[in-house]
Amino acid sequence: MTSSACPCCSGLSFETCCGPILAGAPSATAEALMRSRYTAFVRHDLDHVERTHAPEIRDDFNRAEAERVADECDWQRLDVLRATEEGDEGTVEFLIHFRRDGQDMRHHERASFRRVDGQWLYSAGEVNPKGEPRRVVKVGRNEPCPCGSGKKFKACCGR
Amino acid sequence: MEPRFACTACGKCCHGLLPLTLTDAVAHAVRFPLALVWTVVRSNAKSYDLATRLGTSVRLPNRKTVAVLIQPTAYLPNHFPCPALQPDNLCGIHADKPSRCRTMPFYPYREEKDQADLLVPRKGWECDVSAEAPVVYRNHAILDRKDFDRERAELLEQAPVMRTYADYVLKYMPWIVNDLAKMAAAPAGGKLVTSLSSFLTATRRTDARELAAAQAPLMQAMAERTRTDPALADFHRNYAGWAKEMERLAQRG
Ligand code: SF4
Ligand code: SF4
Ligand SMILES: [Zn+2]
Ligand SMILES: [Zn+2]
Repeated sequence: MTSSACPCCSGLSFETCCGPILAGAPSATAEALMRSRYTAFVRHDLDHVERTHAPEIRDDFNRAEAERVADECDWQRLDVLRATEEGDEGTVEFLIHFRRDGQDMRHHERASFRRVDGQWLYSAGEVNPKGEPRRVVKVGRNEPCPCGSGKKFKACCGR
Repeated sequence: MEPRFACTACGKCCHGLLPLTLTDAVAHAVRFPLALVWTVVRSNAKSYDLATRLGTSVRLPNRKTVAVLIQPTAYLPNHFPCPALQPDNLCGIHADKPSRCRTMPFYPYREEKDQADLLVPRKGWECDVSAEAPVVYRNHAILDRKDFDRERAELLEQAPVMRTYADYVLKYMPWIVNDLAKMAAAPAGGKLVTSLSSFLTATRRTDARELAAAQAPLMQAMAERTRTDPALADFHRNYAGWAKEMERLAQRG
């Protein structure tokens, strides 16, 4: 069996990273769940996204739209900017780099997670937590990369 | 001089976006590609108070509050004829055409006393406003007000649903507030379009699957028709995306 790099950019193989979580194993941390939800988009496994929504937001999930977004986007990279956990509450701030309609975009969110019966669930998301003007912005090729690497975008996540 | 008005059935107004009541949108879902169109009404507008009752109030990042109308709409490019318009320019569904078409040229999103300018035909329209045409509006009152009242009543009745939807969108697509702020600042206002699928999700409609099944082929056809015209790229992108959403919604149990 060959092992492939996990789409979530953890540096681990898919089989040791998001693979088991997508297959139904509980995630050890809120961050691991967040990564697996990103990987689920990359792999068009929206069932995983749907079943890891907390009950109070489950009915708000627009599965049809999520499937379309998964189809139309070229997922490039996930940067987890910060992940904290306290007991059964977790927060993960992340940036997703993707291309849509030929344009480089990024999605910046601070997501809240809650552990219920040993399972981490996504319970809320605050988009642009630092008050950026738009959720999804186009990134100029020569701008500093939003992932914080200090490199130009075109030399980093924009490759 | 009392404003006079008669429709000559030129068909010119049967083009482009057609705002519908929710009841009409649902009733005609097999016919019209549907979207939700958001319009900002500033607090200094004459129809502001009415707009807050028919729509919702939104606080913008600059702390100003605006009214926002969210209209279920037959979503068509400006020069596209209504799918019900026949080659002879007559309405193919005259007997059960939407409220919006019945109330023409009056507009119940405005106060009744503020309708006079709507009786002046827009450029290219062939409405008869000569001495031959009947008086339809007197002392700022609509003479035959049956259709106006019906459409207004439907709009008032659906307002709580539109507010539920607005709350959903502002929660899950919070960046829309910035678009609304931009529209509020632009002299010509502007329109923002959201999908029927987000509306169906937000309002938990039990007929979502049937509506989606009716919409999917329409969206598909409109995506085809708008494929090659660069001026219609936004329309095309929306139709194509929504076609997929509608197909998926239709397949779901
Ligand atoms: S439904 Fe009939 S009256 Fe209304 S816009 Fe279409 S063709 Fe015109
Ligand atoms: S533009 Fe005027 S005359 Fe022509 S169909 Fe519409 S209301 Fe009738
Ligand atoms: Zn992973
Ligand atoms: Zn980067």
